[in-house]
Amino acid sequence: MNIKKLGRYALPYMIWLLALVGLPLIVMFFMTFFDTNGFDFSSFSFTLVQWKSLFIESNLNVFKVSLTYAFYTTLIAFALGYPIAYILAKSPFSNKLVILVLIIVPMWSNSLLRSTALANILSENNIVDDILSNFGLSFVWNIKGTGLAVILGLVLTYLPFMILPVYTVLDKMDPFLLEASADLGNNPTRTFLRVTFPMSLKGVMTGVIMVFLPSFSGFAIQNIMSGGRIIFIGDLINDSFTNWNYNFGSLLSMVVIMFIFGSIFLVNKFDKEGETLL
Amino acid sequence: MIQVTKGFLRKITLFFRRPLPAKIIHVSIGVLKYVFFAFVVFLLYLPILIIAVQSFNDSRNFYDFTFFSLRWYEELFSGISLANPSELGSAIQTTLLIAFTSTIISTIFGTLFSIGIHSMSKKSRQKMMFLNQVPILNADIVTGVSLMLIFRLIWLAIPQIIGYPSLLLAHVFFSLPYVVLSVLPKLSELDENLYDAALDLGCKPFRGMTKVIIPAISSGIFTGMLIAFTMSIDDFVISFFTTGPGINTVATYIYSSAQRMNPASYSYNTLLSTIVVVILVLFSIISSVRKKMSMSKNSIHKNIKKGAVYR
Repeated sequence: MNIKKLGRYALPYMIWLLALVGLPLIVMFFMTFFDTNGFDFSSFSFTLVQWKSLFIESNLNVFKVSLTYAFYTTLIAFALGYPIAYILAKSPFSNKLVILVLIIVPMWSNSLLRSTALANILSENNIVDDILSNFGLSFVWNIKGTGLAVILGLVLTYLPFMILPVYTVLDKMDPFLLEASADLGNNPTRTFLRVTFPMSLKGVMTGVIMVFLPSFSGFAIQNIMSGGRIIFIGDLINDSFTNWNYNFGSLLSMVVIMFIFGSIFLVNKFDKEGETLL
Repeated sequence: MIQVTKGFLRKITLFFRRPLPAKIIHVSIGVLKYVFFAFVVFLLYLPILIIAVQSFNDSRNFYDFTFFSLRWYEELFSGISLANPSELGSAIQTTLLIAFTSTIISTIFGTLFSIGIHSMSKKSRQKMMFLNQVPILNADIVTGVSLMLIFRLIWLAIPQIIGYPSLLLAHVFFSLPYVVLSVLPKLSELDENLYDAALDLGCKPFRGMTKVIIPAISSGIFTGMLIAFTMSIDDFVISFFTTGPGINTVATYIYSSAQRMNPASYSYNTLLSTIVVVILVLFSIISSVRKKMSMSKNSIHKNIKKGAVYR
């Protein structure tokens, strides 16, 4: 087969990925042991002060907060996203493109602007209330700055990332399997629990990770929704790097990377070809 | 026809024979399903609707709808002018420039790379797929910080790297894996004998690739291109860390300007969403028409194979 000789085209990509994924890891790892000012190596010494400050209570608390918010966001996104994906996949309306358009279009508008708009509706003086007041109505749900607002903002931003992979898996599933399960005497609930859901786990896994990781490590949407009142791990990383403290920033990034490699390992276990990642 | 009506009647009689609670549950689940669906889609679109409303608001204040005006659209278009762009205008120019160039680069290279990956042995292919997933699953902030560190290191030797080049390289970096992921499945559907045949007929390997392989996987390339463009235009965190001083994309402009943000951003966003919806709807109509046409073509081919003669 002549096509096998084309394997050399992948070599530059391997070098590119190793250079831009692997090299930063090594750099970050070394940075955690020093106290440089940015990349200014004129005066620096070996120190473990970064590692010690990782375990002080306020920083551990930030980790706890980030994990909690990411957990609830993922849970709610799953509870909303799975049924939506299921309804879409089972709907008689089979024009896939229109469905994808419906879910993808929100991703095209800037997520920061969307959060700003959402934060506006959730504050006391909001535009919806202003328009409704012309008709003698009112809409006030003043939760801006609370944790609930943050979770709402995160869920609405990352929900499509939960819906799409689950939908991809459910749509590809062989309908004869369901018939076979019914023929073997399972009622629809049992069929769902024993056939459909286990087979969709691949998509669920990808969806969970695609929602969990950005809501765990992000900072922009969280900042807009909480008004800066709640501090997340993303804030810490961002602050460290903007204040030229590359060392502590690197250490925090390494912690996030631990979670990421765990999730990549999980995805690889469920979905070897990465077909649900699109 | 009679059988259909009979079946239908049986369904109706069965339905009425069921006890009342079961009936109510059956109907209400059907209705609830669509109510739920509509509610979630409404929630997804709510912020976009609010942005659209604000873009027509004459007031600068988000909490105060004074009256309908196109003021911010005028400001948007006057700001984009090449000669004297506003802060937002130059951010829009940067965003579009980076989105187009990074899409073109990552589509070309992503296609070549996936042909390469496809041709590897199974074991090394799986290793490559693992590496390829890293940028997709990686948290944006980690990708941003990693790339920033690398660019800062290169900056020590080549100071020009920070700015447009670093921004472009970063966008290519996170777009490439999506192109690879959408092209690879199409490659596994490809009949490899066609490529062999092309070489036997005297094609050089590269010509054989452009003439045989690429046309066969064009739909995957197109999907990859679309996703790459989407990712590039929507990105905030990675651009935030890899851009140079004074160079903003729309997202970093919005983040850094916060309270004094130009409301024309809302107009930009509304325009962009509208254009995307129109393009995608047109595209889906065209593709469904094409499908119908190719289906009728296929039936002609089948008839020819069967031996039917067309004069």
